[in-house]
Amino acid sequence: MTAVIRVAQLRKQFGAILALDDMTLDIDAGEVVALVGDNGAGKSTVVRCLAGLSVPTAGQIMLDGAAVRFAHPGDARRHGIEVVLQELALADRQPVYMNVFLGRELVRRPAHRLDRRGMAAATQRLLESLEVRIDSPHKIVRELSGGQRQAVAIARAVHWAKRVVLMDEPTASLGAVETRRVEELIARLRERGTAILVVSHSLDQVFRIADRICVLRRGRQIGVRTASETTAEEILAMITGLA
Amino acid sequence: MATSDRAWPPVRLQVVDPQRFVVYGVFVVVFVFFAATLHDDGFLTQTNLLNIVRQTTPITIMAVGVVFVLSAGEIDLSLGAVVALSALVTADLLQDHSAVLAVGAGLAVGVAVGVANGLFVTALVLPSFLVTFASLAVVTGLARSVTDLRSVAVENRDFAAIFGSGDVGPVPGLAFWALGATAVGHFLLRYSRFGAHVLAIGDNAQAARATGIRVDRVRLLVFVLSATSAAVAGILYAGRLQGATYTLGEQDLLTVIAAVVIGGTRLFGGEGSVIGALVGSLLMGVLTNGLVLWGFSASEQLIAQGTLLLVAISLTLRGQRADG
Amino acid sequence: MDIRAGVQAAGLLAVTAALAAVGVGCQSANDEPAASGTLRITASKPLGKTLGPNGEEPTPASALRLTNKEIARVRAGGYTAALVWHEQSDFTTALDEGVRDSFRKLGIRVVAETSANFDAAKQKSDVETIAAKHPSVLLTLPVDPVVTASAYKAVAAQGTKIVLLSSIPNGMEYGRDYVTMVTDDLFQMGKRAADALAAAIGDKGTIAYFFHDANHYVTNQRDQAFLRTITNSYPDIEVVAKAGIADPNRAQEVAGATLVRHPDLSGAYVMFAQPPGEGVLAALRANGNSSTKLVTLDLDEPLALDMAKGGHTSALIIDRPYELGHAMAIAAGYGLLSKPAPPFITGPAITVTRENLAQAYQESLHRSAPKSILDALGR
Repeated sequence: MTAVIRVAQLRKQFGAILALDDMTLDIDAGEVVALVGDNGAGKSTVVRCLAGLSVPTAGQIMLDGAAVRFAHPGDARRHGIEVVLQELALADRQPVYMNVFLGRELVRRPAHRLDRRGMAAATQRLLESLEVRIDSPHKIVRELSGGQRQAVAIARAVHWAKRVVLMDEPTASLGAVETRRVEELIARLRERGTAILVVSHSLDQVFRIADRICVLRRGRQIGVRTASETTAEEILAMITGLA
Repeated sequence: MATSDRAWPPVRLQVVDPQRFVVYGVFVVVFVFFAATLHDDGFLTQTNLLNIVRQTTPITIMAVGVVFVLSAGEIDLSLGAVVALSALVTADLLQDHSAVLAVGAGLAVGVAVGVANGLFVTALVLPSFLVTFASLAVVTGLARSVTDLRSVAVENRDFAAIFGSGDVGPVPGLAFWALGATAVGHFLLRYSRFGAHVLAIGDNAQAARATGIRVDRVRLLVFVLSATSAAVAGILYAGRLQGATYTLGEQDLLTVIAAVVIGGTRLFGGEGSVIGALVGSLLMGVLTNGLVLWGFSASEQLIAQGTLLLVAISLTLRGQRADG
Repeated sequence: MDIRAGVQAAGLLAVTAALAAVGVGCQSANDEPAASGTLRITASKPLGKTLGPNGEEPTPASALRLTNKEIARVRAGGYTAALVWHEQSDFTTALDEGVRDSFRKLGIRVVAETSANFDAAKQKSDVETIAAKHPSVLLTLPVDPVVTASAYKAVAAQGTKIVLLSSIPNGMEYGRDYVTMVTDDLFQMGKRAADALAAAIGDKGTIAYFFHDANHYVTNQRDQAFLRTITNSYPDIEVVAKAGIADPNRAQEVAGATLVRHPDLSGAYVMFAQPPGEGVLAALRANGNSSTKLVTLDLDEPLALDMAKGGHTSALIIDRPYELGHAMAIAAGYGLLSKPAPPFITGPAITVTRENLAQAYQESLHRSAPKSILDALGR
C-alpha cells in the first residue's frame, strides 16, 4: 500500500550549513515512526519541512503518491498535516478555544462573524474527549501550566488531524502521568489510521510507542529499523556513531 | 476529571472588557470632576460637550487604525504626515473638481502610503519603526511641496457639510464619523477573522504563521488601515477647518498613541481595544477642554495634562501586568 | 634741487602719508570686531512704510489712548477676555504680560488662555472652546489666515470683540469682525536692519540677502524693506547673493551654498533669528569665516551671546512685545466702547547692538538679560 506520506532525498541547506542531506522515509497510515538523533541531527528540520514551515532545498514530499510543494504552512494544513512544534506555537494572550481554532476560526452568519460560542463548545468537547484537565476553554493560555499548554497544542493537532500528525518532543515538559496520557493519545490516533511522526529524546518512550525508528546523525540518515527487530543499544550506537 | 455536564462560564458578549476598565474609570472620574467644578464655566453645556466630540473625532479615527497597528505588534510613525498630505490633496482638488474625486484622491494617498509601508515591512523584512520613520520624512516632504507650503482654502459647502462642518440637528456630523469608525473597528477586531489574526500575529507571529495564517498579508492590510484612517482624518480636518495646511496632523501621533495605550491596547501587540481607544480619545479631549475652561495658563495646562496622562497610563499598564 | 620744491615734495609726502594712515586706520577700525568700537548707525531716510495685509495705512501704537472717563466705563462693564496664542516663547510671555497689566487697569478679567503650538487644528479647537465661555474680547495671533478663518468668524458672529496680532484670517472684515490688527512696524524693522548692516560694514562692500521664500505677510514686508533700503540708500553696497529660504530649518544649508560662491562677504541679512539666523551663523563658523557681519531680527540668545562676545552678529532688530500687548489691550477697550479703532496699528522697533544689549531685554521683554549674556558683556 502506498505510504500516506513519503519524503524522498530530502535536503535542506541553510547557507553554508547542511542541516539535512538525502533523507528518505515513508510513514504509513496507522503507523508511528519515531525520529531520533542527537542535538543538531536535523530532526526539527524534517518536521519543519513536512509542516510547511521550511522549504526543502532539494528532494520531494509525496502524499498518497503525489508530489506536493508547500509554499507556506497553510498549504500543509490543507493537505491534512498537523504539527505540534517544540515551541508549541500558541498565542499566549488568547483563550484556549481561539488557539485551537487559530487560523481556522469558525464563523457564522450574518457578516461572517466569529462563532466564539461554537468554537468554545467544540473545544470543550475536544478537551473532554482527550481527558485534558483544563477548567474552561475560555481560560487564557498564559494562565495555564506548562503541561496544560502542551495539552492544548496536542489537542489542536488531534482535532484537525486528517492524515498526518508531526510531533516534536511532545512530552518534553510533562510529568509522568501526563506523558502516559499523551502516549495513549498517540496510540488512539494510530488506531484511527493517522500517520504519525514523533521526534523524541527518550529511547524508552520510543520503544513504547513507535513501530519504526529512523535515526539521524549530523543531518545524515543513518538507518530505519523496525522497533520490534532492534534494541536500544543498537539505536544508541547509530545515534552516537560509536559502535 | 472532565465531565460533559460540568458547567463552564458561557460566552458573554464582551463589549467592555472588564480587564481594561481603567480607562473608563479614569474617564468617569475626570468627567465628573470637571462637571462639578466647572459647572458655571460652561463645561456641561450641550455646545461644549458637542465641541469635545468635534475636537476629538480626527484623533478617534486615527486611533482606530493605530489599535490594529499596535495589536499586530507594529507601529506607524507616518500618520501625521499622511493627514497633512491627504488634506492638502483633497483641498487642492476641491478647487476645480468634484468632491467625489477630491475625497477619492485623498483616500488614495492613505492607501498608497499604507501599501508602501506594508511592502517595505513585509517584503523587505524591515522593522516598522524604521520604515515608517522614513516614510514620515518622505510624506512630510511631499506635503510641503504639493502646494509649496501654501495653505489651501476649501469653499465647497457640500463637502464641508459632510466632512466635518455639518450638523444633523444638534448632533455634529463628526459624531457619526467617530461612531462609525469605532463601530467598524470594533467589529473588525473582535468579531472578524481578520481581527483574530491581527491579535494572534501581535501575540506570537510564529504561531500564527505555523497555523497557516498569511502573516504578511495581514500585516500589509494593517498598515493600509492605519494610513487610510489618517487620510480620513485629514479629509475631515479639511472639512472642519475649511482649509488645509502642511502643518496639519504634525502633532497628533503622540496624542493618538496616548489615547490608544490608555484605552488598553498593548504597546507591544497581542491585545487591543477599539472602544477603549474611543474613550481614551474622549478622555484627552475632556482633559484639554476642562483645563482651558478652568483658566489655566498654557504652561499649566501642559503640566496638568502630562501628569494626568502619566497616571492614566501607569494604571492601565499595571492592570495589564496584573493579568499575569 | 630747489629747497621750495623739496619742502613741497616733503609736504605732499607727509599729507599722503597722513591720509594713508587715516585710510589704514579707518580700514582697521572696520576689520576690528564691534567689541572694540561702538557701532554708529545713521538712520537713512525711510523709503516706504508698513502697510496692512489689505493695504491699510499704519497708525503707531502710541496713538492709541483711552481717556480716564473711557477707562472708567470699561471698568464698570465687568468684561471678560480670552487669549488665544500661537506658541509659547519669550515673545508671548512678554506679550501676555503687556496684555494682562493693561487689562488689570481696565478691569477686564482673563478667563481663558491657550497656546496652539502652531497647530491650526488645535487653534480652531481652542477658539471653539473659549467661545463657549462667551468672552467679551478675544486677543489672538491666528497661526494661518486660511485654515483658522472659520473658527474666528464664528466667534465674531456671537459678538465677541476680536483684536488680531500679525494676521487677518480670510474673509474677516475690519469693524464688523475685528476691531483692529496690531503688528510690528515691519518696514522700520527691515530698514533698521539695512542701516545697521551698512554701518557694520562701513557703508560699502558685498552682502548676502537671506529672505523668506514664502508668501508670508510679516516676513515679506520686512525683507523687502531691507532690500529696498540697502539697494537705494547705500550705493556702495552690492547685494551679490539673494538666497530664498523656504524652510527656516534648512538655513544652514542654503547659507553654506551661498558662502561657497561668495566666501568673502562683508555682511549678511537673515530674515529672522531662530532658527534661520542661527543656521547662517553656524554656516559662517563652519566655513572658518571670521569677518562677515551678520544682522537679523529678534532677540535670540545664541545670537545675542555671539554679539556680546564680539562675534559675527553686529545688530539685532527687535520689536517690543510688551508694548504690542499693551496696544492690543487698549484696542480691546476701543472695541468694548464701540469706539472706532484705526484699522492697522504698528508697534515700535529697536536696534540692538552690543552697547544696549543688556537694556534691550528689559525694554523689549520686560525681564533682565540671561546671566550668560551679562557675563559675556563683562557685567
